[in-house]
Amino acid sequence: MIDDIRVGALIAYCSIKRGNKKTLMFIVFVLSLIFMNLVFLPSMIGGMTVLFTGMMQDYPYGDIVIEPSGDNTYINNADNVLQKVRAVEGVRAATKRLDVGASIEHKQKVVGVSITGLLPTEEYEVSRYPYIISEGDFIGELSRDEIIIGAMIAGTGFGSEIYDNLGEVRPGSLVDVTYSNGVKRTYKVKGIMEGTFELVDLNAIVHYKEIEEVYGLEGSKATSVVVRVDKQGSEDQVQDKIREAGVNEQIFTWADKSETLIKQAMQSMGAINIMSKFVSLIVGAALVLIIIYINVLNRKKEIGILKAVGITPGSIVLSYAFLSMFYVSLGIFAGLVLYFSLMFYFQANPVVFYETMEIRPQIDPVLLIESIVTMLTLSVIAGILPAWSVSKESILKAIWSR
Amino acid sequence: MITVKNLKRYYGTGETAVKALRGVSFEIKKGEFVAIMGASGSGKTTLLRILALLDDATDGEYTIRGLQVSSLPEAERSYYRLTQVGYVFQDYALINEMSAAENVYILSMMEGKSRKESYKTALEALDKVGLKEKHNRIPDELSGGEKQRVAIARAIAKKPDILFADEPCANLDTRNSKQVLDVFKELNEKYGQTIIMVTHEPWHTEYVDRVITLEDGSLVSDEQKRR
Repeated sequence: MIDDIRVGALIAYCSIKRGNKKTLMFIVFVLSLIFMNLVFLPSMIGGMTVLFTGMMQDYPYGDIVIEPSGDNTYINNADNVLQKVRAVEGVRAATKRLDVGASIEHKQKVVGVSITGLLPTEEYEVSRYPYIISEGDFIGELSRDEIIIGAMIAGTGFGSEIYDNLGEVRPGSLVDVTYSNGVKRTYKVKGIMEGTFELVDLNAIVHYKEIEEVYGLEGSKATSVVVRVDKQGSEDQVQDKIREAGVNEQIFTWADKSETLIKQAMQSMGAINIMSKFVSLIVGAALVLIIIYINVLNRKKEIGILKAVGITPGSIVLSYAFLSMFYVSLGIFAGLVLYFSLMFYFQANPVVFYETMEIRPQIDPVLLIESIVTMLTLSVIAGILPAWSVSKESILKAIWSR
Repeated sequence: MITVKNLKRYYGTGETAVKALRGVSFEIKKGEFVAIMGASGSGKTTLLRILALLDDATDGEYTIRGLQVSSLPEAERSYYRLTQVGYVFQDYALINEMSAAENVYILSMMEGKSRKESYKTALEALDKVGLKEKHNRIPDELSGGEKQRVAIARAIAKKPDILFADEPCANLDTRNSKQVLDVFKELNEKYGQTIIMVTHEPWHTEYVDRVITLEDGSLVSDEQKRR
């Protein structure tokens, strides 16, 4: 076996050293494109997933969200819950919110929205709401008759043409809000928020105390308590710790919420991803096999000669496995160079969807390792199969037939 | 050393079968230099290929030193080709991507020798055919005669019991042909190498001990020449 490996390596080495360099470059180029095909689309889909889940974390759900248990509408004594949560190791910040339904009217235009009552100063640590004000300012601790309106309902952001909007709303405009309990309030628009995310841009924000007052809530009620953790990835541990701290409400991580809310979208993308990988793999396998098979057929006479002079079929087959692995390794290397070049390009120039959503492809080391292992495995099979088939032919047939 | 009894080789079956060998029998002693002659289609190359274990006989017995080699499984035939038999092809059959030395020493490596030792063996073999200085050249950089001498070096480097040559001078001019035949003669006389050569050139028989002539697949004469 060792002699087979040595001789196989010598044959492959000579073939590489003195073989046609242009053919080698062409094979490597095609293989690099096959590799790119395996990794590029999944990276783009990874980028979309990160974008969506990032938005879920940055706006409605934080890293962990606590919601009322059972059929309760509110978390009772949310301050007590907050006190327990903030004492948990690994929690960076937490705040309470009140989400209610309402309609907003401006110059005879009416739009149904979800309004979130929040504590403005606490939001700086918990969400990105304060940082996405495209016009005007974020509300402050003393804001009572002020409202922040999402860009899509204000009629200024992308998507306004798809959804009902209020038309000419700008900071300073007055809007009438009718809450789900029938209470009407007039607010001055303090700012327009644009998160390029429907769950944000179709909503409105007022001060927490405003909702408390409108609905006559007492005892620090909340529809959710939003928590941010110190270290990304520690959500599950922190979730357990919060439970251990005596919080009896429903506790979800952003991943749990993403799963239920954008599960369908993610599943669709996951399905596309799997299909794309499968098709890429089949196409890749076929191309690698064709390239190596043509190579082997061109060397059929050589295989016959090697057999005729006493080189074992094992050595011959191994030489093609080595040759194939070499081609594919170079193809992977060239593919990686191409891939990282494109990744860096798209990091700097993200793909823009819906005019505002910037998707930056994600470099997934596991995906890269999987693809490299897949390509190398394919290369061994692609090298061995045709060479084995030709090496089984009779010597005379291999040398003299075409 | 070699015993052939009633060796037959048919291509196809039934009435349309082509009978390339119709039952050939002879013996060859160790150290003999034998020429197999005959017109085109007489079966001489078919016979040589069977003797060199490159092809199978349809019927008959073929033994080397009493061992029935024609019935050996492929793995053992491969080993036999590597260690006991050398074969020189009409069209040289060198690997174009290997240098002269690599074409030769690959067989020593296959036998388990180290690369250094194999290289040394290859240089010795190339020296015997007068090509030591050109050991780094690839086949495309050599003349037809030089290529054939590399092919001979490859065949003799492993010091085989028997050297087979299938019209080794067919593609060479007279000067190069003489060079190749001189190498065979030296190998035969100096090292006692058994050589069986297919040829159709009558003047080549000046170099051999014995001439076996085939006609239409049958042995028609077996003539001693020199000794």
